[in-house]
Amino acid sequence: MSAILLIAVPLLAAFLSIISKKIAPYLLLLVGLFNLVLLFFIPEGFVIIGGFSQPLGINLLFDFFAKIALFLVNALVLAISFLNIKTYGKYSSILLVALAGLNGLLLTNDLFNLFVFLEIAGIAAYLISTSNKKPTHTFHYLVLGAVGSSLYLFGLIILYAMFGSLNMVNLIEKIQLSGNYKNLILPFLLMFIGLGVEAKLLPFNSWVKGILGKSNTLTGPIFASVYAATIGFVLGRLINNLFMFEGSLLTVIIVILSVGILIGEAMAFASTKTREILLYSSIAQASIIALLFTNGIVIWAVYLIIANALSKLVLFLVINKAAEDTGSDEIESLQGLFSKNMLVGITFTLASLSVMGLPLLAGFVIKLNFLTELATSNQIVLIAIILISTLVEGIYFVRMLIKLWYKGENEVSVKYTLSFKIVFVVIALALLVFGTYSTPLDKLDNSVDTIQEVVNNG
Amino acid sequence: MIQYIAIILFVLGLYGLLVNRNSIKMIISLNIMEIGLNLFIISIGFVYDGIAPIITSSAGSGGLIFVDPLPQALVLTAIVIGVGTTALALAIAKSIYVKHNSFDLNEVEETV
Amino acid sequence: MKNLFALFGSLLLALGIILALNNNTLFPSFGEADLTERVSGEYLTQDEIDALGSANIVTSIVVGYRGFDTLGEVTVLFISSLGVALLLGTSAKQKRLELNFKPNFMLRVGSRALFGFILLTGIYIILHGHLTPGGGFPGGVMIASAILLLYLADDQFRAKIKGFKILESISGSLYVIVGLLGMLLATYFLQNFLPVGTAGDLLSAGVIPVIYILIGLKVGSEISGIIDNFLTEEEAK
Repeated sequence: MSAILLIAVPLLAAFLSIISKKIAPYLLLLVGLFNLVLLFFIPEGFVIIGGFSQPLGINLLFDFFAKIALFLVNALVLAISFLNIKTYGKYSSILLVALAGLNGLLLTNDLFNLFVFLEIAGIAAYLISTSNKKPTHTFHYLVLGAVGSSLYLFGLIILYAMFGSLNMVNLIEKIQLSGNYKNLILPFLLMFIGLGVEAKLLPFNSWVKGILGKSNTLTGPIFASVYAATIGFVLGRLINNLFMFEGSLLTVIIVILSVGILIGEAMAFASTKTREILLYSSIAQASIIALLFTNGIVIWAVYLIIANALSKLVLFLVINKAAEDTGSDEIESLQGLFSKNMLVGITFTLASLSVMGLPLLAGFVIKLNFLTELATSNQIVLIAIILISTLVEGIYFVRMLIKLWYKGENEVSVKYTLSFKIVFVVIALALLVFGTYSTPLDKLDNSVDTIQEVVNNG
Repeated sequence: MIQYIAIILFVLGLYGLLVNRNSIKMIISLNIMEIGLNLFIISIGFVYDGIAPIITSSAGSGGLIFVDPLPQALVLTAIVIGVGTTALALAIAKSIYVKHNSFDLNEVEETV
Repeated sequence: MKNLFALFGSLLLALGIILALNNNTLFPSFGEADLTERVSGEYLTQDEIDALGSANIVTSIVVGYRGFDTLGEVTVLFISSLGVALLLGTSAKQKRLELNFKPNFMLRVGSRALFGFILLTGIYIILHGHLTPGGGFPGGVMIASAILLLYLADDQFRAKIKGFKILESISGSLYVIVGLLGMLLATYFLQNFLPVGTAGDLLSAGVIPVIYILIGLKVGSEISGIIDNFLTEEEAK
């Protein structure tokens, strides 16, 4: 069993699925399930493609970091497709290609291959976003995405001209031998900005407001949890091993990320629409994750990505279903949503408390641990920024929750099917369990990312 | 010389994206930017007095100076990806026109 | 005002990139690339050429060493064509777009004569991808441009789109199946399992011409599909 099947089988299914529109959704569910089961049987290590000796060909790296990421992404896509199969069945072929692209992004060890899979996942994203029926926002997203990929390719080509290799492990060895960091500022900055477009970092995140602000039960979860998690993992792998920011570039990056956190939280505070509050919170969380990777706190950033993906899945599904049924997502018109839907309300509250970081939930454990790690490296300014953002988060989330629980003048009735409720309950339980019994989380440490070991051992 | 032209084309395309609001003109600017990028990639591989990397005689490759074949392969992929993106962008522009009867993105402010 | 700002920003960016590249000690000047330091030095040695059997080294990189990237690129075209069909196609019956230009008799007949030549050139370029520059991508686009010629010259012409869709789906699946066969018959995904022959013959380079034929067919049918989607509209009730 080889890791390449995680990419080849969804691609094969996608090519075959356009012949018959009726079997496409079932093919999607079958392939998703197959991928999840396959993940248990793949051995860790490099996967060579084409049988060429390295670094002549392309290879994939399946280590523990990739394993966690692949489990999360495949499970999420399976869940989202299962929930949306009746209403958005015609997007099944696109979802199959998106699945192949996301798996490829997480597995690859070659930088140009990362560019190709970034484009595959990107074009699949533009197509999924057309289900919002807002073509101007999709066009805006497409233009920004194309600019981002071109900047990434530009930086990559400068790196190739300097060092002569596109293989990540090979390139890291050569960079560490060269020693002079000043040469690397331009390519690394271009590559970081290029990836930052998809990762919702400043300065190119103006597409998020349009795409997620008018999302539905398919696009909301796909962009806010699946794509956010994948790009978080990819950015983490690159920042931790390849970029390794230092000097003036490090200061610039930290300033950009901190400003991103503050602006994201401020815009969420100022908004009155539930979807906008959630999407600005996502923007801020993405900047926090990138900040943690820049400071070398790998394992807590990974946990934050997982917790964020799970909580945002619940939050967006609840709000999007409500917005679809009632036609508006203003807090005023959704008042009293949970007075009729108790179970959904409880799971929504637990998920939002986890994002805020209240005790008894996974978010608190993660926040406490990464703040401690930041304190040991004396990053007082960053701790202050994160504490301020937590405070602001608390205010706007509690404000939203109070309005949603207590009945207003109008009757709001939204129906959640059983499959939705099962997903909500499972995720809320996971967040509760890992918040109270956190020993399994402490067992793993920063060595989940094994590229440095491979480089050092030759 | 050609690398300067490539960088200027790239930045020209970016400037066109910032300034234009007509969707067709934005797609053309995107294409100019990608042309500049592809020219830059090819220029990385040039070697003085090198010939094309194709074996033409049975003497094989000994003693001949070739240009770098890898950037050419990368540009092949980049051009095709650019074509895919342009086709999709044009289809979206056409559906904007069908919905709002204009190509200008400032006129068709959809309520966000 | 905003335009001035954008102008200054772009000029600053161009200047910044040029200065940074000039001051970069490791970035080689134009034409001074040293191939022995790069991976390409390995690709050009006689051993590797004999192992792969293709006379065109760019082809051996595109389909051999970096064949996985080419699979990704084919997927990008696939999903763009799917997207255009999703956005512009409707389930209602379609007819040709009404244009103001009406082609005349000479154009209609002459284009059919030219169609054969263009198609033949495209097929030639696809088949000789491992011997001369070209290969599946330019050849496929030439086939599609022959179809475009027919569309432009005759305003009632519509190609058989259902047939193109099936051709596209089958050639794409065959590409992945060739890769999986490599895994079964050799050991690794996309590994060569056909005899390699000598570089320079038409029947050489193992599985590379087969893949290029599949890519050529796929690209040709996809772009023809995109052309048809743009040049048709819903039948008025």
